Amino acid sequence: MPTSLFDNRKSVIHRLNPVTKLVALLAIIVIVFAIPVWWVSAIVLVVVIVPAAVISGSGGRLLSLSLKILIPILLVLFIVQGLTFPGGETILWRWGVLKLTTEGLLFALGVGSRIIVLILASILLVLTTHPGQLMSALSEHGMSPKFAYIISSTLQLIPAFSDRANSILLAQQARGLSLKGSPFRRIKVMLPLLSPLVLGMFTDVEERSTAMEARAFGSPAKRTSLIPVPDTTLQRVLRWVFVALALGAIATPILMGIL
Amino acid sequence: MIKLSDVSYAYPDTDHYTLTNVDLDVPQGEVVGIVGASGAGKTTLAKIISGFIPHVDGGALSGRIEVDGINLPESTLAIAVSHVGLVIQSPFNQISGAKFTVREELAFGLENQGVEREEMATRVGEVAKLLGIETLLDRSPYALSGGQQQLVAIASMIIMRTPVLVMDEPTSQLDPGGTRMVFDVMSKLRDSGITLVVFEHKVELLREHASTVHVIADHQIVASGPARKVLSDPRLEKWAIGTTRYTRAAALAEEKSLLPKSTELPVSLEDSIDVFKGFKNLKKG
Repeated sequence: MPTSLFDNRKSVIHRLNPVTKLVALLAIIVIVFAIPVWWVSAIVLVVVIVPAAVISGSGGRLLSLSLKILIPILLVLFIVQGLTFPGGETILWRWGVLKLTTEGLLFALGVGSRIIVLILASILLVLTTHPGQLMSALSEHGMSPKFAYIISSTLQLIPAFSDRANSILLAQQARGLSLKGSPFRRIKVMLPLLSPLVLGMFTDVEERSTAMEARAFGSPAKRTSLIPVPDTTLQRVLRWVFVALALGAIATPILMGIL
Repeated sequence: MIKLSDVSYAYPDTDHYTLTNVDLDVPQGEVVGIVGASGAGKTTLAKIISGFIPHVDGGALSGRIEVDGINLPESTLAIAVSHVGLVIQSPFNQISGAKFTVREELAFGLENQGVEREEMATRVGEVAKLLGIETLLDRSPYALSGGQQQLVAIASMIIMRTPVLVMDEPTSQLDPGGTRMVFDVMSKLRDSGITLVVFEHKVELLREHASTVHVIADHQIVASGPARKVLSDPRLEKWAIGTTRYTRAAALAEEKSLLPKSTELPVSLEDSIDVFKGFKNLKKG
């Protein structure tokens, strides 16, 4: 059973040093949240994320995974903000006390575009970066191996968590659990499944931690790597460019306020 | 190599002792089996021998525990794991999840110890050859069968060159094919001079591979001795461990005076063939 979402391909994006991709992700997040207008997010999406997804060859999986997360979030966002935005004056449609306003929709567009960028960029990083390489690269850049492992293992635990949840659900359905009915009823029925899921995960984590310690994970020695993670001068420069862009994005609203 | 004297242990926040007054003496290079029913304290003893108790689990530990000349409770976990390797039940949970191929997975422990790249590559080749897993080196650890994953977990420990290897029910989650793979590897490890302590339920396979066997029941070691003698002891039924069908058949034959009372009861098929020869001679007589 694969434990990570990593999509094993040989593209340029896959071969980039994981730290370069991580710095790019962080810079993108800083930029779209520091300059909170929808068209900045749209530019980032069109200029950076879409080309990177196409080059990586993981665009299909990126789309399918992202839509599962984004559709419910965006639906709720647009409905709630569109209908209940305080101070909305340009009414597009009215039904009783509910009124769909242009201001509400624009606010939802601003927030939604940032969420889209955040989700797509994060999933693209996960799809194109093997957790092991991420861990090695972070360790090579001075991060504590334990912290690096927490980041990489968190990425790989998502599918394992999903598999365990499905097994528990299947076992309960075999014993007569029915998931039919209203969404509220489904949530109510699903709640008792959380206990075996969480307890099972704790057991796994404890076992995994024992196995890692047995392999000298807590050793005070300076960590080495069997296979070096590739890095280039161009990528080192690129990382500083991303940092500069992020700092520029933070400074922009401040400077605009001063001027 | 391993010496436990009067060891007792209670987990944190409990006054109930999981193990009491345990004595154990394992000479270097020996394969020792430890059997016991579920909940008898096997995993606890495995953790004590490998240093995880008291360094990780805490609790109340008394007695003397010495492994490879190291007083484990007074050392650190980092020192303990450089002397004793531990293989646990679940093959899946032993895979780091941080490595792309079996080759890298094997080197994970060495990377943590800061071993140089060339040395790591050499050791990976040696261990893969010893365990016969060279063909798996470039595959993903998650693309392997349970038995193969457990071999990789064992190899990941062997590569660290600890003189002692503790295996806590290494075949409990494996199918018969995987179980056979792991036990075959035990023979290779024994020949390489590693001291092996195997906690197992599979009495018949233990008979084939262990020279000495200890039984844990009622939180203490209640029987010790040569594998065949201990594993054919009728009291194994009382201790919820059970004997093999060969033992039960021979015991029945003894009871019905078809075999002499002095017969050493068989545990495995090979033992039975010997007993059967005797049975044939008896019939002729």
